[in-house]
Amino acid sequence: MSDKLKQIIDKQSEQKDSVVEQLDDVVQLVGFMIGDEEYAVPILAIQEIIKPFAWTRVPQVPNYVLGVFNLRGAVIPLLDLRTKFGLTPKKQGEDTRFIVMRHGNDVAGFVIDRLTMAIRIKKENIGPAPDTVSGEDTIIDGVGKQADKIITILKVNKLLERTF
Amino acid sequence: MDEFQEILQDFLVESFELVEKLDEDLVELESNPEDLELLNGIFRVAHTVKGASSFLNFDVLTHLTHHMEDVLNKARHGDLIITPDIMDVILESIDLMKALLETIRDTSADEGIDVSACVARLDKISNGEAPSAAVEPEVEDVVEETPAEEEELDYDNMDPDEIEAEIERLLAQRQAEDKAKREAKIAAGEDVPTVPEVEEEQIEDKSEAEKKEEKPAAKKAPAPVKKEQKSTNKESAKAAAPTKRTPAAVEQTIRVDVKRLDHLMNLIGELVLAKNRLMKINEDVEERYEGEEFLEELAQVVSIVSLVTTDLQIAVMKTRMLPIGKVFNKFPRMIRDLSRELNKKIELVLAGEETELDKSIVEEIGDPLVHIIRNSCDHGIETPEERVAKGKPEEGTISLKAYNEGNQIVIQIDDDGKGLDPQMLKEKSFEKGLISEKELETMSDKEAYTLIFRPGFSTAAAVTSVSGRGVGMDVVKTNIEKLNGMIDIDSEVGVGTTIKLKIPLTLAIIQALLVGVQEEHYAIPLASVLETVRISKDEIYTVEGKSVMRLRDDVLSLVHIGDIFEVERILDASEHAYVVVLGLGTSKLGLIVDTLVGQEEIVIKSLGDYLKGIEGIAGATIRGDGGVTLIVDVVALMSMAKDVKSTALSTPDEGASGVKEKTKPSDYTVMIVDDSKTDRTIMRKALEPMGLTLVEAADGQEALNILKSGDYNFDAMLVDIEMPRMDGYTLATEIKKYNRYKNLPLIAVTSRTSKSDRMRGVESGMVEYITKPYSADYLASVVQRNVNFKAEFL
Repeated sequence: MSDKLKQIIDKQSEQKDSVVEQLDDVVQLVGFMIGDEEYAVPILAIQEIIKPFAWTRVPQVPNYVLGVFNLRGAVIPLLDLRTKFGLTPKKQGEDTRFIVMRHGNDVAGFVIDRLTMAIRIKKENIGPAPDTVSGEDTIIDGVGKQADKIITILKVNKLLERTF
Repeated sequence: MDEFQEILQDFLVESFELVEKLDEDLVELESNPEDLELLNGIFRVAHTVKGASSFLNFDVLTHLTHHMEDVLNKARHGDLIITPDIMDVILESIDLMKALLETIRDTSADEGIDVSACVARLDKISNGEAPSAAVEPEVEDVVEETPAEEEELDYDNMDPDEIEAEIERLLAQRQAEDKAKREAKIAAGEDVPTVPEVEEEQIEDKSEAEKKEEKPAAKKAPAPVKKEQKSTNKESAKAAAPTKRTPAAVEQTIRVDVKRLDHLMNLIGELVLAKNRLMKINEDVEERYEGEEFLEELAQVVSIVSLVTTDLQIAVMKTRMLPIGKVFNKFPRMIRDLSRELNKKIELVLAGEETELDKSIVEEIGDPLVHIIRNSCDHGIETPEERVAKGKPEEGTISLKAYNEGNQIVIQIDDDGKGLDPQMLKEKSFEKGLISEKELETMSDKEAYTLIFRPGFSTAAAVTSVSGRGVGMDVVKTNIEKLNGMIDIDSEVGVGTTIKLKIPLTLAIIQALLVGVQEEHYAIPLASVLETVRISKDEIYTVEGKSVMRLRDDVLSLVHIGDIFEVERILDASEHAYVVVLGLGTSKLGLIVDTLVGQEEIVIKSLGDYLKGIEGIAGATIRGDGGVTLIVDVVALMSMAKDVKSTALSTPDEGASGVKEKTKPSDYTVMIVDDSKTDRTIMRKALEPMGLTLVEAADGQEALNILKSGDYNFDAMLVDIEMPRMDGYTLATEIKKYNRYKNLPLIAVTSRTSKSDRMRGVESGMVEYITKPYSADYLASVVQRNVNFKAEFL
């Protein structure tokens, strides 16, 4: 490898580092409603957001696992976050969306009641999960404080983890 | 660094290929010690590996192969006769060589394996037996030891230029060595050994080969020129040699990364799905535009696409096929070791090695075969004394053959040993608590043979290193069933045992029978379906809480697919049902389904990590309409069926639980189904004064969807007959399929007045027939009557 090439590569990696640094103190999230609560997940964990369509029921699974659906040729599990969070099931309506999240090789679709918005939030405005639910097992990553409300930020890897 | 890795990869691929062939050759050599052609072949492998490893600085491997080469070289020159004892040492050294290669593959270094003991033994053979014939090995010693003496270069800390220079230097050195060696040998008056043969005859992955050549050439001008000259020399020398030496046909092959083939297979899978979809659309179009001219053209295109897709699928499947000989190769060696260990004389006869199987299956089939053959050697074949006493030839025979049978590959393992004694098997199993007393009495011989596959079953008196733990055959069964295969055993006491493994050609795409239960569909692999039967409810009997039916002369136990997959019974069960008879080895099960949808080629997709391991589900497939259909795991289903209580065709309670006491007029809900907005408004105006809750739908399909959603509890429906998408009659028929709505009053409101229309209305389940135009009061009174409107609300 010539020295020139090396220099270029070094330069590039330096630039990358500085970009990451800039982004480091702001977190981009996508907010959504389940019941009366607003939740959010990191925008980079979201593969896509789609309108609801037909899925196929799968037997012998907990009730929050609705089944599987066809996402352009891939068979992907569909989970209902309302049921998972212990709320009563609700009919899917106009605002219902499937959020397809990815963490490593794990992909799943989640049914949410309504999307709110994309949120940019400073790291310093994110507090830890409340003591009562903190620990390794919680799916709450932290609590984002905004001017008029607080948002529960969820751990995508925990959402995608099979717990049955 | 990359180039080093690339060369290393090539080296490993080549070496593993060579070693694979080696085992078989060596065992054959033992019986034909005079076969010079074989010896030369084996020598070449050792030589090639040695050459390449010394170039790559794998000192331990070089050291070992060098000494192997010494011994083999002597044998080649007739200075040494290969005896079984010598062969043991050679085989041991080859095992070490394999282990070293594996270590190199995993860690890129050949440390951690001690070869000194084996080398000492090799030395003893080459010196002790023929001390004088040392001319050639000495020459090679001098040449080959040079790289070993060099200091270990630390490639990791070199910068690219240095590495290049180092590779350059090593290349040149290696070529010089080759040349020196050749000259020495030519001087000694012998043929030039053909060095890396495989490399020349197979077209390497082009880009890689080019890269190897081009990169150094671009960098340093003077050195490559020299190198190229040399390599042409070398190549012409080599090219001449093999053509003379190996008359065997040279296979024209391209080495392709398996990942590419897997990707291709996935693409074909998608194509098959698209084809299925296209065919479905074609059917729909045919129905809708019957008699149109373009239909024929469309049908032609569809059939061509489907034909080509099928051919393409077969062609790609074939590229993934490997001859089963790849697996068979390791058995001669295994039989040899086992027969020495067990003190038996066993001959292995191979047939049909060229039979081809999908790569993924070839990989899976090895272990089960190892277990079966070990079992045959240990339990099947008797000791030579016993055999002679029984009047059999002293040497036992195990034959392993593979052949095609329809869509399946059959691998048949025969031995001429003592055979299986069904009575003994049954008693042993009973002793170990594997079967009940009743089974002990009623079990057929064929079923008794399958007992050897039960976990925990072993007839061996003592646990030996070969068998007796009662694990092996269980592994066989699970592995074969994982491949959707079947096992068939036949045996005769004193004569021998035949085990047949029947395995599908490929795993990715299978033929399936699609069945329907309520509103769900499931796919059952067709290979497990023996037949389908249409039965009526009263043909089902209940014995000890289980449903059974009589199928010709047999009693078939039945299970409803809905009970296994917890399907909600929302549709009314019809008088008739279908039974899919599933067969797996000797066991049979009748699966009750509501409808048979048809046979279809499906592509198996995994449910992914999140949902893997769901009992009874083997995977999923995507259907022509884009929906997902689950594939039934027949093996699991059969074991699940044992725990399911019969509820077969029993009708669940009326879904009337949700009916509440009506306390106000708005508790009554009526649906108005009409495609005309005006008509709907007229009906609404007529009924509104009563204070009912009214829901509107513009056609049958929409009405059905509203019903299915369960948002409302309807007390009556007003249905127009002429509607787009779904007309009134069809809607009525559909509604009546649901238990919940069996008693829902349907009132036809239509301008069709003929008697036949009225008749059809009654047939489809309408209770009243109102013809347009009608008076508002009349409509209101009909509705009142049908919803049992309480008088106090009036």
